[in-house]
Amino acid sequence: MATMLSQLTGGMVVSIEIFLLTLLFSLPLGLVVAFGRMSKNGIIKGIVKIYIAIMRGTPLMLQLIVVYFAPFYVFGIKISQSYRFVAVIIAFSINYAAYFAEIYRAGIESIPIGQYEAAKVLGYSRVQTFFKIIFPQVVKRILPPVTNETITLVKDTSLAFVIAVAEMFTIAKQIAAKQASVSALMVAGLFYFIFNYVVAFAMEALEKKLSYYR
Amino acid sequence: MSDKLLELNSIHKSFAGVTVLEDISLSVSRGEVVSIIGPSGSGKSTLLRCATMLNDIDSGEIIYMGRKAATTVDGHAVYAPKRELKEISKFFGLVFQNFNLFPHYSVLKNIMDAPVSVAHVDRNEAKARALTLLDQFGLSDKADAYPCELSGGQQQRVSIARALALKPEILFFDEPTSALDPELTGEVLKVIKQLAAEHMTMIIVTHEMQFAREVSDRIVFIENGIVVADDSPEAIFTSDNTRVREFIGKFNS
Repeated sequence: MATMLSQLTGGMVVSIEIFLLTLLFSLPLGLVVAFGRMSKNGIIKGIVKIYIAIMRGTPLMLQLIVVYFAPFYVFGIKISQSYRFVAVIIAFSINYAAYFAEIYRAGIESIPIGQYEAAKVLGYSRVQTFFKIIFPQVVKRILPPVTNETITLVKDTSLAFVIAVAEMFTIAKQIAAKQASVSALMVAGLFYFIFNYVVAFAMEALEKKLSYYR
Repeated sequence: MSDKLLELNSIHKSFAGVTVLEDISLSVSRGEVVSIIGPSGSGKSTLLRCATMLNDIDSGEIIYMGRKAATTVDGHAVYAPKRELKEISKFFGLVFQNFNLFPHYSVLKNIMDAPVSVAHVDRNEAKARALTLLDQFGLSDKADAYPCELSGGQQQRVSIARALALKPEILFFDEPTSALDPELTGEVLKVIKQLAAEHMTMIIVTHEMQFAREVSDRIVFIENGIVVADDSPEAIFTSDNTRVREFIGKFNS
């Protein structure tokens, strides 16, 4: 039991790493994608729409495999052992960026035009208008859907097993197979639940913090 | 420098083929209070939005303090370079019908943020000016409140303070009381009268006829995108023009 827990904890650290790094990269990348999606340039907008369609329209598991094997099959580069984890982060980040982009877009488009006009007449530059006036209001509005995505991400980290990155679920399955018992899987389930409980708690605290205005 | 703060010369503006402003000219001198009245859809707000460059004109001239923001070449409006427009924009402020305060900023920050981060005024100086304006408008206890905690009349007074904090030469008002009930309207009109007494140059689009009559040096009556009458309040209110009489009569009765 003790070894099982320590093994699972080791896997959980990997899951948390995937989770945090994915958020770190996909949240800003999503904003860039959202700008592309809302671009007045038809070519940029078209490319971004195709990108979003592919990311949302195909399984993340398949995307993991493609990102992992692409360097070898496309460029003939030998895949190193350490690339496994990098591939997971790349695949997760570009996948989640597509979802976050649409959430950002919905948030940005929900801000009344009067906010832009007031900022313009007061002399704010476009960059200032976005980062000082618009974006803080967007953040408040998109927190609930972002929380949804974030919770999904916690559970999606288990998909990393497909390219043999030993996150928590991979390890739980190995233990379960060896012991011919599902207890390790149940413990893993509990770990995911607690993880998500913490995430939801943190997001709710953030929502509360931003509830000082409407 | 001429004492004309603003000159609008034969402004044309249409939206999707529908003419909204047809050859409108208007000039405003320092210290003047000009009210723009007219039926809904007459082009009053569009004129204000064109003057404040929220909408582009199709042709005509916009001149602030002798500096050309827009001129017409070969029948099409040509705007000054971006940098010049930015300079010219400092001459005016605009108060919106629905306030457009920044909801995530406190009242104080709404007023002092643009002076600090746009005009690069010293923070303490900007704060002192903001507090003075709040005091002047009877809102000194609201500095730390957020817009959602204020009544419409208070919000509109804050938005007037926000515009004044940048020390504009001209202040435009786009139906400043249309979103307010009669009681709150009174609070806002009082503030505008206060500014008129200080000889602030103002252009006010309004449906408050009695107020326009009391506060204005001139009233401009616009209908169907043209200036029907541009005269002193007394002349407008005793006008021989049937259309003007009809419009004002409806408000007086």
